[in-house]
Amino acid sequence: MNNKTSRRDFLSTGLMLPVMGAGSSLGILNLSAQTPAGDAGSAVKLSYKTLGKTGLKVTTVGMGCMITSDPSVVTRAADLGITYFDTARGYQHGNNERMVGTALGDKRKQVVLSTKTEARDKAGMAKELDTSLSELKTDFVDVWYLHGKSNPSEIHDDMIEALQLAKQQGKARFVGVSTHSNQQTLIPWMVQKGVFDVVLSAFNFSMDPAVEQAINAAAKTGMGVVAMKVMAGGARGQKAGQTMLSTLKWVTNHPSVATTIPSMTDMAQLDENVQAMGSTLTAEDHRVLAGHLKMIEAEYCRMCGKCEGTCAQGLPVADVLRYVTYADGYGQFALGRERYLQMASEHVEARCENCPVCTVQCPFGVKVQMRMKRAQELFA
Amino acid sequence: MRIAHLALVPILLTAGMAHAQDYLSCQLAPGWTQSETIHPYTADNLYDYKDGGAEGYLIFGFAGMKSLNCKSGENTLTIDVSEMNDADAAYGLFATNRDPRMPVAKIGMGGQVQALSATFAKGNYYVEIVVNAADPNSDHTAELTTLVNKMAEHIEGRETPPEALAWFVPEDQSTMGVAPQSVLGLKELKRGYVAKYKQGQAFIVVEETSESAAAVLKVLRQKYDGATDAKVGDEAFQAKAPYLDGICIFRKGRTLGGYANMPTAQDAAAQAVKLAARIP
Repeated sequence: MNNKTSRRDFLSTGLMLPVMGAGSSLGILNLSAQTPAGDAGSAVKLSYKTLGKTGLKVTTVGMGCMITSDPSVVTRAADLGITYFDTARGYQHGNNERMVGTALGDKRKQVVLSTKTEARDKAGMAKELDTSLSELKTDFVDVWYLHGKSNPSEIHDDMIEALQLAKQQGKARFVGVSTHSNQQTLIPWMVQKGVFDVVLSAFNFSMDPAVEQAINAAAKTGMGVVAMKVMAGGARGQKAGQTMLSTLKWVTNHPSVATTIPSMTDMAQLDENVQAMGSTLTAEDHRVLAGHLKMIEAEYCRMCGKCEGTCAQGLPVADVLRYVTYADGYGQFALGRERYLQMASEHVEARCENCPVCTVQCPFGVKVQMRMKRAQELFA
Repeated sequence: MRIAHLALVPILLTAGMAHAQDYLSCQLAPGWTQSETIHPYTADNLYDYKDGGAEGYLIFGFAGMKSLNCKSGENTLTIDVSEMNDADAAYGLFATNRDPRMPVAKIGMGGQVQALSATFAKGNYYVEIVVNAADPNSDHTAELTTLVNKMAEHIEGRETPPEALAWFVPEDQSTMGVAPQSVLGLKELKRGYVAKYKQGQAFIVVEETSESAAAVLKVLRQKYDGATDAKVGDEAFQAKAPYLDGICIFRKGRTLGGYANMPTAQDAAAQAVKLAARIP
């Protein structure tokens, strides 16, 4: 893939992502044979990639276990052939690790298992890892992440020492960092540091191109890339069906991404997500994604901060966009209005009509003036 | 008159916020002082604070969170107060996060206090408190107990767990809680209640109407080859199901209930009879 091709170019031109890397391969799964519901299933292809230099073979669709409440879903995912399972020490105060460990049972040896620590010092990390291993009923995890880092300054030398020690002790085969924001700074630093095997990053078709560049560069050096938040907000009920599948396929077909960890709460979601494996992006997927991108471009703030200080009336643009999203995006009108009315009185009273031309230009194409007017109509 | 009503809106909102601050105060814990301003979080920036764990809040129906940091000497303490869409969601979050190996204390709808942490739910609020102690082996149970009890006094709302939890058969029960969606991993069974037992698990889902409950039961029955009638509630079936083993699902009025992960379908049906009898 040409790394300079942005998602927008890619979507607008309908270019197909190239064939997956040489390490990718396919397997066949007869879904109908194992479907718990007895639904009319069909043979689906399991697709595999290699997780960077770790050499771990992973299915391109893994399983994020965070919100899975019934262990049967995890067990069935393993039976279907999914090989990557992700949890964290902090999820449900440890109950999630316990559930995953129980659900995998003897299948633990067949899968790649990752967990994370939020501890901030060497001793605390070591203690958390031992607890994780106990709860997961395993002697080692395949990938152990520092949980939720955004800046290199959050990762201290003693934390890196703890990661290395865990590898030496055989408690973690590989180590990495999970990150939701500022990836364009954090991931290049991780590469330069040379001690991390894997990055678990929020990544989907709607994100800042700088994130994709960072991920591409990391993958080129052999760092394994696992993608999360691949549904671009789907967990919040914004999309369904075809859009969900297309967003997942976009990531599973991305050459720099080895696997993904969409959250799954039930058998139906599991079956839908499995369908994303082994299938290339179709013209219909391109149409769906382009349509969705067009929709969110006009309305949804990416929180890049580039509008800060550019409003002639001094309005906190990103904040106001967020408030209107509470109402329009999440159905939380009262919350949006509460936040709006908490602004300084001159901002509450400001009206976009008072400016002949809007001075705010969103680099992502959000129609700022339209959305600001919407907020003023709704809340002021 | 209408103008007067509108003019009251900001005043009422302000009053509500002022009330919200009452229970979010470091001074409720003797010896602790506030170290930072209160951080508010909403559905779209909770990831910035809770990372992937944010999904665990969102799935239950999350309205917002206020986070406060306190300090006492070298120790710091973080209080996170999540406002959920309803009291069942707040209780559900508590139940999901509680340590099942420890007892539940009578703090609001339920709470747990440990050496370095505490959680409880009351009304629409779920509260988490974590102490980052210079000495990780120190025990802050006493001051945390004081703090959560004072906070609970200031928080308005329901003090009893969801009514449906009392319907579960108590014998041999290990845990119970709220499943925010897909009970038993089945998308047809939306939000409901689950109790785990030494053997198997039971569930309750309250539908809008008897008709909608009957429709869900019909769909579920069609999933399982070999399902047969069971004499439980108004209508029921039993089956041997992949991953759920012996199951029995019944409808009583607009309530769906049942047992799963039992050795046989007959075992599940026998337990389901006991559950159905407890449902009003």
